[in-house]
Amino acid sequence: MNVLIVGAASALGKAIVEEIGDAHQLRLMDIVPVDPPDKGEYIVGSSLNQDDCWKAVRGMDAAILTGEPPIEVPQDELERDQSLLDHATRGTHNLCKAAVEAGVKNIIYGGTLDIFRSYPDDVYISELWKPQPEPDMPVMSRYLGELTCREFARDYMVTVTGLRLGKVVNEEEVSDTHPDLLWLDIRDAAQAFCLALQRDTAEQVWWTQRWGLYHICADLGNPKYLINQARSLGYKPKHAFSNNWAT
Amino acid sequence: MKKVLLLGASGLIAPHIIPGLETHYYLKLADVKPHPEGVPVLSVDVTDYSQVLEAARGVDIIMNWTVLRHDDTLSFQVNTQGAFHVMKAAAELGIKKVLHTGPSLVLGYYEHDFDIPDAPVTPSTDYYFISKYLSNEIVKSYARAYKIHTLCYLFQGLRARPENPLVGRDFPPFTIIYDDLVHAVRLALELESVPDYFQHFNLHSHLGQGKYSMDKAKRILGYVPQRPYTDLYKRTS
Repeated sequence: MNVLIVGAASALGKAIVEEIGDAHQLRLMDIVPVDPPDKGEYIVGSSLNQDDCWKAVRGMDAAILTGEPPIEVPQDELERDQSLLDHATRGTHNLCKAAVEAGVKNIIYGGTLDIFRSYPDDVYISELWKPQPEPDMPVMSRYLGELTCREFARDYMVTVTGLRLGKVVNEEEVSDTHPDLLWLDIRDAAQAFCLALQRDTAEQVWWTQRWGLYHICADLGNPKYLINQARSLGYKPKHAFSNNWAT
Repeated sequence: MKKVLLLGASGLIAPHIIPGLETHYYLKLADVKPHPEGVPVLSVDVTDYSQVLEAARGVDIIMNWTVLRHDDTLSFQVNTQGAFHVMKAAAELGIKKVLHTGPSLVLGYYEHDFDIPDAPVTPSTDYYFISKYLSNEIVKSYARAYKIHTLCYLFQGLRARPENPLVGRDFPPFTIIYDDLVHAVRLALELESVPDYFQHFNLHSHLGQGKYSMDKAKRILGYVPQRPYTDLYKRTS
């Protein structure tokens, strides 16, 4: 399968490339050059540029939009928020529109579970719960990106998968810190993206089947964020932060 | 008299409702382009946060009638980024009421149905609809976080009140008559509180077809069309 990875220079993008390995032919897209794997190539471009999007999606079977912020965001808070918003809305729309028009049949978007942070910790959060994003642009913009992708599943015969990721960390690097119910090891996040490539509902007549939504988090003994839906994809997280929760 | 910043004062909608509002409110008219009838407006580009912030200083309420349709870049910049700027300015200045606006987001999906209640929105990927839909989500988030009583009016067309009966014609769905929109805006500006700080309302002027319900607008705002326009669309015998 020919797979485009957008946001490939991010840590998450690199982890996805590592996870996919040689299983697929990759095209990596970011605003800076990225080292491609042996069976791959890269394209320097921005989702805000429609020509770049067109070049990126051409010949692809699937597009992974990591949802990660651009590698370079402005220092000024307002300019940063404007940039995040623009990339998550217009940029995501540009990519999805180019993708469906180029015949891409599978789009995967990396959203965030942070949209449920306002709920108390004594509830179980599944995909059935109403998102309540706070006006914190790094979180809210990812939610808006997810909503943008969802509309493409409604309008086009394309498989679209929203992966709402927990707080992406590296288990070894947080071994000495207080645990967080949102934690998700970056390698498990990458696993979820790879599994989502196998979803194939593009020919389903009901848009609700073309759209799939999965909560991706660590497999904790007493979780707040349930991952039962993701298990149906084959998701088996390997990093449970056991040492953190044991103390 | 309440001070109201009206963004989009020179657009396709606001010039038709300003005359009905200006005797009741101190209107601070603003737009990026001149008013079609030469009414003085403050030059404000909603895509520029500093301009929105300055325009909003000293007002009690912001009304956002700005819109740009079907352009791949400007629709997002005006409709989505602009809404972010409006709500950020309201939060920063402690403004406690906002009237936001947009197109009907149920029209396309339910156009063959009847007795349609306040159904979940179905925006589609069209630049106009999706950029406005995303703006509603931003507005909702700010409204709830900063306790800004925010109403969002959704309709699809606007027209003058017919002066005479219209023969052989029907009323287009989700169209609102100028007078009804003025009335609805006044209800919004006077409403003391908005349940959960954000509510959107389907608005139009014609209930005769039995399609789109306005029960919520009636229940919360007390909005009903000001006169039975069905009378003007009756077949003559």
